[in-house]
Amino acid sequence: MLSNRVHDLYVLEGLADGDTVIHRLHPRAKLLVTLVFIIAVVSFNRYDVLGAVPYFLYLIIVMSLAELPGSLLHRRFLIALPFCAFAAVTNLILIRETAFVLGGASFSWGFLSMLTILLRTYLCVMAVFILIATTPFPALTRELHRLHVPKILITLIEMIYRYIGVLIDEAGSMATAYKLRSVQSKGIAMKDMGSFVGQLAIRSFDRGERIYAAMTCRGYGRDIPGRERVRMTPPDILCLILLCAAFVLLRFFPILHML
Amino acid sequence: MHMADALLSPQVGVGMYAASVAAIAVATAKIKKDDFGESKVPLMAVSGAMVFAAQMINFTIPGTGSSGHIGGGILLAALLGPFAGLLTLAAVLVIQCLVFADGGLLALGCNIFNMGVIPCLFIYPLLFRPILSPSPTVKRIWIGSVAGVVITLQLGAFGVVLETTGSGIAALPFSAFLVLMQPIHLAIGVVEGIVTAAILNFVYAARPDILTTAAYGSAAPALANRRPAKSPNPGVAEATSVSSIASGNKRTDSPKTVIIVFACIAVILGVGISLFASAYPDGLEWSMERVAGTTELETGESTVFSALAGVQERLSFMPDYDFADGEGAGTSAAGIIGAALVFVIAGAAGLIIRAYKKHRRAKTALR
Repeated sequence: MLSNRVHDLYVLEGLADGDTVIHRLHPRAKLLVTLVFIIAVVSFNRYDVLGAVPYFLYLIIVMSLAELPGSLLHRRFLIALPFCAFAAVTNLILIRETAFVLGGASFSWGFLSMLTILLRTYLCVMAVFILIATTPFPALTRELHRLHVPKILITLIEMIYRYIGVLIDEAGSMATAYKLRSVQSKGIAMKDMGSFVGQLAIRSFDRGERIYAAMTCRGYGRDIPGRERVRMTPPDILCLILLCAAFVLLRFFPILHML
Repeated sequence: MHMADALLSPQVGVGMYAASVAAIAVATAKIKKDDFGESKVPLMAVSGAMVFAAQMINFTIPGTGSSGHIGGGILLAALLGPFAGLLTLAAVLVIQCLVFADGGLLALGCNIFNMGVIPCLFIYPLLFRPILSPSPTVKRIWIGSVAGVVITLQLGAFGVVLETTGSGIAALPFSAFLVLMQPIHLAIGVVEGIVTAAILNFVYAARPDILTTAAYGSAAPALANRRPAKSPNPGVAEATSVSSIASGNKRTDSPKTVIIVFACIAVILGVGISLFASAYPDGLEWSMERVAGTTELETGESTVFSALAGVQERLSFMPDYDFADGEGAGTSAAGIIGAALVFVIAGAAGLIIRAYKKHRRAKTALR
C-alpha cells in the first residue's frame, strides 16, 4: 500500500521527463501562463458559466500536445473534488431563484453557480497538473529562485520532496514490523500512534543530522550549484505573450456572451 | 482544511498571499540570523517529509472505524522552533499543492496562513511555549499540545470560513458555515492534539534536547552571552531567562515581541488588503461592465435588471436574444450551443493532435 503511495508521488514527475513542444517550453513561461490562467478563470462572477468554458480549449490542446495521460490526471483530480463539490451542492440547495427557463425546464441561479464551481475546480486543478507534469521539479524551483522566493524555502521544498519517498519507506518498514507483531489488527492502533510517529520523528532527526554531515562534506553552505540561468528564447516569449493575451481577452470579452 | 482555487476570489487570494509572504520573509530573516540556521535545513526537510509520511499511514480511531491523520503545525513548531516550523510547513504546503492538488495555487497564501502562520507565529509563542515553560513535563506537554492544536484548528477553520465567505463564491451564509466548520474541527483538533501530545511526549522522553533546543535554541547564543556561566546547564539558564521574559520582563529585542509585532503586521496586511479589495467588489467586474456591457447580479438587480426585465417582457423569447444578459450569466440558447461548440472543437483538436503525433511516431519508427 505504501509503495503505491510512493509511486503516486513521483508519477507526475515521471511524465515531466517527456520531450514535446510543451515540455520544451521555458518553465518560467509555463509558470506565468498557469498563474494568469487561474486568476482569469477565478475572477469570473459566480453565475458566469459560459465565460469560463472557452478556457477548456487551452487544457485540451496542451494536454494533447504534451501527450499527457488524461485518465491519470483525472483520477488525481478526484482527490481535489470533495470540498468543492460540497460547496457546489450547497449552492444548488440554497439559491433557488429561477435564473432562466429553457425548453420548459427552469434552472435556478444555484444550478448555475454549482456548474461554475465545478468548472472552476476542474480548470484550476488541471492547469496545475499540466504545469507539474510537463516541468521537471528542479526547473520549477529554479524559477521560484528567480521570483525571489527565499533560498532556504526553495532548498526545503526540494529536499522535502526528495525525502518523502525515503521516509515513507522508513514508515512502511516500521508499519510492517508493527503488523508482524499484532496479528489481528488492521492498522496501527491509536494508543500506539504516539510512540510510532515519535519513533519516526527521532529516526528523522538522526537522519537529518547524518544528511547535514554528508552535505557539509560535499561543500554545502556555499552557493547551490546548477543554478545557471537558462534564458527564454523568442518562441518562449511569444508563446507566453500570446497565451496570456488570449486569457485576458477572453476574460474581458467573453465570446460566448456575444453569441 | 486545504482551500481550493475554485471557491476563492482573486482579491482574497492575493491579500492572503501578501500576509503569508510577509510572515515567511520574517521567518527567513530570523533563520538567517541564527548561527545554527543553515545546519538546521536538513533537519527541517526531513521533519517535513516525516509529516508527509505520517499522514500516509492511517491510524484506526477506536470505536469509529474511521481513520485520522496529523496536520502537524504545532508538532513541527515544537520540534523545530516557530520560524523553522513555519518555513517547513510552507514547503510542505507548496508540495501538497503542486503534486497532489491538495489546495490550490492561488489559495496557497490562505493555506499557509491558516495552517502555518497561525500555529507557528501565534499559538506556539503565545500559548504553547508559555504552558511548557519553565521546562517541559509530561503533563505540560499534554495540556500544551491539546490546547494548542485545538485552538489552532479553531482559528484555522475560522480563517477558512472568513476567506470563503469573503470571496463570495459559495452561497453558504457566514453563520451556517461557521456552525458547520467549528464543531468538525473541534473533533479533529482533539484527536490531533492527543496524537501530537503522545508524539511529543515520546520524543521528550527519548531525546529531551530536541524540544528544549526548539523552544529556546534561536535565542540561546544571545542569552548565553548575557548570562555567562551562571548555571552549569545552559538549557536551564536559557529556559529561566526566557520565562522571565514571558513574565513581564520585556525587552524591545526579545523574540516574543518581534514575533507579536510581525504577526500583527501579517494579519493587518491580510485583512486590510482583503477588506480594501472587497470594498470595491470587483475591479474586474466593473471594467467588464464597461467593456462587455454585462454586470454582476447584485448591481444588476436594481436598475439594469428591472430595465431588462421590461425589455424581456416585450420581446418575449427570441433565440437570438441573450435574455439573461445583465446578470453576468449570459445564459442563452446561443451561449449554450457556443459552449457545446467549444467542447467539440477542443475534443476535435485533441484527437487531431494525437492522431498527428501517432502518425509521426509511426513514420520515425519505420525509418
